[in-house]
Amino acid sequence: MLKTERQGASIRAKNAFTGWSFILIAVLMIAAFYFYPMIQALILSFKTGRGINLSYTGWSNYERLLTDKTFFTALKNTFIYLIVQVPIMIILALFISVLLNDSNLKFRGFFRTAIFLPCVTSLVAYSVVFKYLFGTSGLINTMLMKLSIIGAPIEWITDPFWAKITIIIAITWRWTGYNMIFYLSALQNIDSSIYEAARIDGASSVKQFFKITIPMLKPIILFTSITSTIGTLQLFDEVLNITKGGPGNSTLSISQYIYNLSFKYTADFGYAATVSYSIVIIIIVLSLIQFRVAGDRK
Amino acid sequence: MKKVMVLLLTCMVLLTACSSGSKDKDQTASGGEGDSKTKEITIWAWDPKFNIAALNIAKEAYNAKHPDVKVNIVEFAQADIIQKLNTGLNSGTTKGLPNAVLIEDYRAQGFLQAYPDSFADLTGKIKPEDFADYKIGTTSYDGKQYGVPFDTGVAGLYIRKDYIEQAGYKLDDLKDMDWKQYIELGKKIKEKTGKDIISLDPNDLGILRMMIQSAGSWYLKSDGKTPDLKDNAALKEAFTLYKELMESNIVKVNADWSQFIASINNGDVATVPTGNWITPSVKAEASQSGKWAILPMPKLPATPNSVHATNLGGSSWYVMNIPGSDTAAEFLAETFGSNADMYQTLLTKVGAIGTLKAAAEGEAYTKPDDFFGGQQTVSDFSKWTAEIPKVNYGTSTYAIEDILVVEMQNFLNGKSLDQVLSDAQSQAEAQIK
Repeated sequence: MLKTERQGASIRAKNAFTGWSFILIAVLMIAAFYFYPMIQALILSFKTGRGINLSYTGWSNYERLLTDKTFFTALKNTFIYLIVQVPIMIILALFISVLLNDSNLKFRGFFRTAIFLPCVTSLVAYSVVFKYLFGTSGLINTMLMKLSIIGAPIEWITDPFWAKITIIIAITWRWTGYNMIFYLSALQNIDSSIYEAARIDGASSVKQFFKITIPMLKPIILFTSITSTIGTLQLFDEVLNITKGGPGNSTLSISQYIYNLSFKYTADFGYAATVSYSIVIIIIVLSLIQFRVAGDRK
Repeated sequence: MKKVMVLLLTCMVLLTACSSGSKDKDQTASGGEGDSKTKEITIWAWDPKFNIAALNIAKEAYNAKHPDVKVNIVEFAQADIIQKLNTGLNSGTTKGLPNAVLIEDYRAQGFLQAYPDSFADLTGKIKPEDFADYKIGTTSYDGKQYGVPFDTGVAGLYIRKDYIEQAGYKLDDLKDMDWKQYIELGKKIKEKTGKDIISLDPNDLGILRMMIQSAGSWYLKSDGKTPDLKDNAALKEAFTLYKELMESNIVKVNADWSQFIASINNGDVATVPTGNWITPSVKAEASQSGKWAILPMPKLPATPNSVHATNLGGSSWYVMNIPGSDTAAEFLAETFGSNADMYQTLLTKVGAIGTLKAAAEGEAYTKPDDFFGGQQTVSDFSKWTAEIPKVNYGTSTYAIEDILVVEMQNFLNGKSLDQVLSDAQSQAEAQIK
């Protein structure tokens, strides 16, 4: 009796060891490249100074953050992108994916690829192309003028309002296809017999969409809205390459502000780390809210 | 759960041990080899047509006397150099950093103060008095000379002769212009030719910097630390003039460098008030040869000490305090630091106007330029270089400018000037600590 018990224990220990050694490398890597920098950044956020002349100053960076106008401008801009762009993109992706899931549609593969293609283009390359498309004498203005939709060229890049619109159009173009793929794969998991039954009961396509598709996709919608929110909060390449945050900080994102503090001005890594941690906190709070609102409580 | 925590903690300890270990190793390495001369050096710079071309000429001149030294020239965009320097110097490891690097004058003090001991002291290797006065303030710190002053950012007013003649002016009428008259000229040109007088990027207040430096004033007081925005008379005047310029409908707005250059080469603008480094870009459009001239910069009308000479940009060479610093310092001292003959070649081949005083006496400096109607452009620029008021750029030019860009938009939208500058002042004070 005792012997077998001991044997069982040693097998369990052996199994546990094998299990741990499998994940050890991954754990080490994650610790080295995720947790260690995260903790270092947290420590850094309590230091103030230029370049390497850093010294601990307690909460002073966080106090500065609360009175920093530029930070609040960046925060406001980022939230405008978030509130306007994420819903547009999610609804658009949902709409397109339902259309493309229709088995009667011809050239489905082509359309899927075409809509997915933007999100494998280089961030910098597409931003630069957008900048020229939306230039004062760029293609978009020329087209709109030729079609007599507008009388004078729109200052897409140099007007505070239109610059924001340009950024929103750019990120919508880049990321809609990405979300569409999630919806498409989720749609394929919905049993077609459910729709069949609905059709027999006389439900219209619109009704099917709202009563079947959306509820069935709820977990995926939650997932895409959280990833899109996080993505938008980290928005950087588009803003830097299209508008450089201008005119007059009207398109500045938080990430670009961090970049400016670290590399454009005299390096202030302590404060930049503080601003980074503000994003961490915002992401945690927003994700919790989204889980609460849309997720199933377990 | 406990096991995970233990594992994590072990990792953390291991990593900390590793990182401090490598740091020690680096320090002993640089300490040990610091004195011996490395025969291979690497230099970073931006702009292939200007700085890199100049470096190649310097390399040729140096290798003629020292064939055993290998000089590697690496081109990066300026923003990349700044990013690489900041990350490299901050991480505490000097691996991958160059032996010498070009740094813009506006940023130099920031680097010298943020990374003490990272740059080699060149006092005694070059003579500061050999260079234009206004360059010494930016390249020295704490009584020591760190930089080898290189190109002058001396500014001039590039102007289309044909447009101003159509507007009824002669070139000579405009030589002693102030910014008020400049705006009047702009209105006249718009009326007669339909062309704008200037192309401006609302994110770049370079014109403001030029205006205030012409009066010996800057965003900071002469200590290079205290923001000087609220009661800065020259800045006030510059803000007012900028607004007037914008509201006169004579400005073509651009969003970046290439649009700016396009507006010049397409003939969309009548003048380009900027640093002399624009010359190659203006000359790039050969069909406009003979149509351009370069006048002294306009001055501020109401600020009494404003002169017709100012600066925009400009950069200098710095030696990193890593193995090989002696060779790098020697290279710079023998070429950009003293070789007046080499500057003649720089001028004829690259068009780069240096700040070495002795170099201003060569034949190349008085050569007429056909593109500018036979004007002796270089000798004109050298003359203006000597008149540039010296200011202390301090450490925070771009941080303050980002604040001012926002406040400028507020000012254009109707906020009062005093409020605008006082808000900018308090923000700058919070930013610069």
